[in-house]
Amino acid sequence: MDLMSCLECNESVKMANRTILKESQIMKIHYITGIAAIFVVALHIMMRLVVPFEQSLEYDYIIANYKNIIYVLILESILVLISVHGFNGTRIILLELRQSRAWENMVTVVTISAMIGLIAYGTRTIILANGL
Amino acid sequence: MKEIERPTRNNLEGIGGWLNPSRYGWERISYWFQRLTGVFLLVYFIGHVYETSTIVNGQNAWESFLELTQTLWGHLFLIMVIGASTFHSANGIRLIFTHAGIGLGTPGRPDYPYNPASLNYRQKSGIWIALILAAAAMFYGFNVLFGV
Repeated sequence: MDLMSCLECNESVKMANRTILKESQIMKIHYITGIAAIFVVALHIMMRLVVPFEQSLEYDYIIANYKNIIYVLILESILVLISVHGFNGTRIILLELRQSRAWENMVTVVTISAMIGLIAYGTRTIILANGL
Repeated sequence: MKEIERPTRNNLEGIGGWLNPSRYGWERISYWFQRLTGVFLLVYFIGHVYETSTIVNGQNAWESFLELTQTLWGHLFLIMVIGASTFHSANGIRLIFTHAGIGLGTPGRPDYPYNPASLNYRQKSGIWIALILAAAAMFYGFNVLFGV
């Protein structure tokens, strides 16, 4: 074994030790969040369609929605499920386009940060609208 | 131990490889649509989260932002979102089944013209069902939004 391959071997072991989730586990999460999102988004759309579409967008109607705890839980789950699914999908696309250790780490950090940011921003809206 | 080869440049074709129409079969169209609709829906979702956040600034802020989206182009954009989300969901379910080995068929002897057994009528039917469902959902959305 030459020095270079030995160093790469050690590096891959170290990286393997740092891996939190295997890619197969991440794909399971991707599929589960996708299937779950279909159901909660269907509920969200049905809530829009129980009244005429224009009425469903009225300020008072939407504020009343935000005060309904069950609907709030549906909105929060949509936010989390689609954010996880969407940003993991973006990560997968970006890793298909280019592969290197630095690129993978950068893509992972950026997508997780964006996911957390979007969930935080959406949760802020839900909490504030609930208090209006 | 064999030395690991360091690639000089990975995935040479990149996005150009995705968009190259000369090798398109139904499976490739489905692959490309799944990614295109996924990115489009994520962009819409981010915009939707921002749009709904205006409600915390009061009724005037909400209604003035709503005026931007309740237009002909806004409704046409929503119809695109309906079509994209329906295709992405239906085709995504097909891909989950495929990943689980369902609908791939059994391996056969590789005879000329060497058509892969995995790209069979079940897969093509799944893609067609996703496209038809997307068209039906867009038609329904058109009826709701334009009150036809």
